Amino acid sequence: MARAVTNQYKTIITVVSWTIGILIFFPILWTILTSFKTETEAITFPPSFLFFEWTTENYSTVMERSNYFRHFMNSVIISVGSTILGLIIAVPAAWSMAFVPAKRTKDILMWMLSTKMLPPVGVLIPIYLIFQKLGMLDTRTALVIVLTLINLPIIIWMLYTYFKEIPVDILEAARMDGAGLRAEILYVLTPMALPGIASTMLLNIILAWNEAFWTLTLTAAKAAPLTAFIASYSSPEGLFYAKLSAASTMAIAPILIMGWFSQKQLVRGLTFGAVK
Amino acid sequence: MSTEHSRSAARLMISPSVILLLGWMIIPLSLTIYFSFQRYNLLMPDQTGFVGFENYRYFLTDPAFFSSLVNTLLLVGGVLCITIVGGVGLAVLLDQPMWGQGIVRILVIAPFFVMPTVSALVWKNMFMNPVSGLFAWMAQSVGLEPFDFLAHAPLMSIIIIVSWQWLPFATLILLTAMQSMDSERLEAAEMDGASTLSRFWFMVLPHLSRAITVVILIQTIFLLSIFAEILVTTNGGPGTASTNLTYLVYAESQLRYDVGTGSAGGVVAIILANIVAFFLMRMIGKNLDA
Repeated sequence: MARAVTNQYKTIITVVSWTIGILIFFPILWTILTSFKTETEAITFPPSFLFFEWTTENYSTVMERSNYFRHFMNSVIISVGSTILGLIIAVPAAWSMAFVPAKRTKDILMWMLSTKMLPPVGVLIPIYLIFQKLGMLDTRTALVIVLTLINLPIIIWMLYTYFKEIPVDILEAARMDGAGLRAEILYVLTPMALPGIASTMLLNIILAWNEAFWTLTLTAAKAAPLTAFIASYSSPEGLFYAKLSAASTMAIAPILIMGWFSQKQLVRGLTFGAVK
Repeated sequence: MSTEHSRSAARLMISPSVILLLGWMIIPLSLTIYFSFQRYNLLMPDQTGFVGFENYRYFLTDPAFFSSLVNTLLLVGGVLCITIVGGVGLAVLLDQPMWGQGIVRILVIAPFFVMPTVSALVWKNMFMNPVSGLFAWMAQSVGLEPFDFLAHAPLMSIIIIVSWQWLPFATLILLTAMQSMDSERLEAAEMDGASTLSRFWFMVLPHLSRAITVVILIQTIFLLSIFAEILVTTNGGPGTASTNLTYLVYAESQLRYDVGTGSAGGVVAIILANIVAFFLMRMIGKNLDA
């Protein structure tokens, strides 16, 4: 008897949850579906959900007409480049703070975090003018530099929380066994630190890919990543729903997939370790 | 373990990060403050010089400033209300036993990974458009007049779009916190006859309080700087109906080329963000000790 009640309860919960889940996901689903319709079909009422003539024409049009591939590569170079550069700078810092903590380590960490609180618009003007003077407006280099700096605190914090979990005893044991510093780093620490570094990298690529303040204000046609490319659809091409949908689907698909793999790290990274 | 040698090595390893972040903070910040006291308009390059607090007076007495301040508060407050209430509800729901929990979780989290310009444009065109949007069709099919969301309720529309983007974040964090809850204590309370509501109110909510605080503070930092969503949907309009502080400073400096006034606005934005940051830092600092 009790079991039947549990199953009934479970069914209700399942139905309600799935309904809400699909509703929340619906705008994304709708974008993907629309990207496979013709332009006329995309604005036809009543809208059809599955029974329309599927076409991939929009994808080829977007690719041909708008230099899509360049913007895509800009996004890849900017997000991956800024992440790798950030990691190179952050790994030694996080490493030393986790394994050789000093009196002021906590203060330094908190101060680093505080730089993240600086609203971007407060420094927009000088950054813009500096890059203008250097002739670096609308270059990928400028964006790699800026995104590295704004995400550096998050990278350091995430790495720090991961490194903190590596037991120090293991180092001492290795040292007892006569391992030198090189062997210690190569064979003991690196294998234990790699998962943390990989998660940090994943989350940071997602954040950099979707960053939409600096990418919109510092780029024009040449270095614009997908965020800025899609913004150019705001009018009047935005009225071509099928093409807008195709461009949008291509812009979000890689990150959506990466994002699903990094749910856990997302919580940890964005709350600076306060919620695990 | 920390010898003199290893300590100086540690200092060497930290210094690149510290120097870069210090430079990133101090150089632009001091320039912003410097510009905010200068007459500096890119359209009038020959008129320069120190003007004291003139830029601040101009920025703060501009009616657009007051309305942008109100809009910023409404935007942050509105999105926080929706995402916290919705997030707690969803977290409690998704923590129940069900079939396909993993898939539902993936569906709910997805909007967070959509870039702001895409979500804003999709909502603007395919849902809120008064002629060919899905909402217009839904209104028509039940015999109602389609509502032009972005023209008549621009701020409300942006709140809806931004809430859709941030609800997954709140849900994910609150769900993570829910899962660390001691279910045996809940069952014991149920045995003792505590109602569902009182279990939620006296046990679940207090357990979630820390996570809720974290969500509020982190979202506030990001929500104060909402920009792309406004740029591609309304351009801050009609009038200044959907202009927030970030967008106002952007418009002042990038569209009206008034560097001096824009910088004064930037300083005001920094001061406001600092008030929020003060609380956030105390909160995270406390968790660091625990």
